[in-house]
Amino acid sequence: MKPAPFDYYRPATVEDALAALGTSETAKVLAGGQSLIPAMNFRLSQPDLLVDIGGVEGFDRLDVGPSGVMIGASVTQSRVMASDEVAEAVPGLRQALHHVAHLQIRNRGTVCGSIAHADPAAELPALAIACGATLFLQGPAGERTVDAGDFFLGPFWTDLGEGEIITGVHFPSEPADTVTLMDELAWRSGDFAITGVAAAVATRDGCVSGARLVSFGVSGVPSRMAAAEQAVLGFAPGDDSSALYGAAYEDGGDAVDDIHATAEYRREALGALAVRSVRAALASNGNGTGV
Amino acid sequence: MMDTSPGSREVDVAATINGMQVTHRVPARLLLSDFIRDVVGLTGTHVGCEHGYCGACTVIVDGDAIRSCSTLAVQADGSTIRTVEDLATDGDLTPMQQAFHENHAMQCGFCTAGFLMTLESVDPDDYREPEQVVDLLSGNLCRCTGYQNIVNAVCSVWEVERS
Repeated sequence: MKPAPFDYYRPATVEDALAALGTSETAKVLAGGQSLIPAMNFRLSQPDLLVDIGGVEGFDRLDVGPSGVMIGASVTQSRVMASDEVAEAVPGLRQALHHVAHLQIRNRGTVCGSIAHADPAAELPALAIACGATLFLQGPAGERTVDAGDFFLGPFWTDLGEGEIITGVHFPSEPADTVTLMDELAWRSGDFAITGVAAAVATRDGCVSGARLVSFGVSGVPSRMAAAEQAVLGFAPGDDSSALYGAAYEDGGDAVDDIHATAEYRREALGALAVRSVRAALASNGNGTGV
Repeated sequence: MMDTSPGSREVDVAATINGMQVTHRVPARLLLSDFIRDVVGLTGTHVGCEHGYCGACTVIVDGDAIRSCSTLAVQADGSTIRTVEDLATDGDLTPMQQAFHENHAMQCGFCTAGFLMTLESVDPDDYREPEQVVDLLSGNLCRCTGYQNIVNAVCSVWEVERS
């Protein structure tokens, strides 16, 4: 298994990267390559040009400020995970990244690359939606930003236009009343999730006052769980969880059947994970007794 | 705006492997695992699944354990690479290699180089609980399923107390 032949180009500027992408309809951006190169080994992907953005000026920025964390396009998942400043501003990032593949893959895989790849079972797209992250894109028509909630359109399908690349992603600082975390079910630690939930849960007086709950690995695209987000309002530690479970089960109505799990199994897992995530969020806010 | 591809099918790769400087002109599509094995001739690094799943091909690039099957050789241009051949010195095994030997932490041995390089790349102080050791090793598969002895070997060297 070897990739089909391609031309390789390593630009130093985003302008050169965009110009190169414009020369070919099958060109691909290479960041960490942890999804792309396996796909090329299988020849599922056969680009005739790889534009390696590892050396693009400014893409290695990892800035933590009062508004949040800005992660450049070539920043690896391990680097984000290792930063104590990042963990303080957006604690959910370190916790979520622990679920992403394995150490050896996180050492090369990038945060922006995972978002651009948009695997329906990947953690980072769901986390970006739960956190209210903003994507920074640049293409032939210039620069624009897109809310993560509007970015994912289907399996491996995003709002990225032809010749456009993600230059960075901004995760806003976690509000004081909010806990962001991720939970998932996978057959092996680090494998793709059969079902997962990314949750940003706000609390007031020990009860849930608002939540963004996002499913992943369930259907073809990470999705906000509208029914569960309603059902969870006012939820307190110790409350009966059957209504929340039922709502999350309803949110899994478009769950897929495949070799890993049936749709029914995924929906039940989604219900259980939603309850577990909300309980864990309440507990880590000091308002509950844990899962 | 460019009209034609600015890229090239062949690339120069210069790297330091196990302290030895190597420079080769290779196809852009050459994987790092094949560069190490077929071009440089260091066959201690094994190639298993070739899609980043099994970890047999794990090597250390600039201090980080990575999958050499999911990395292009050209991406390692200018880097410092360590493979399993860099561990023992004149036939003297490292403490971890010795522990693998004493604990029978291998059966067929195909996965061993990958396990050893993952272990070589980390700070043992970050892995004080048996669960942390197991989690660290989750990125390497042993198809003989000899995990207990591998965990035993690691815990013995890192002085992790098993319950």
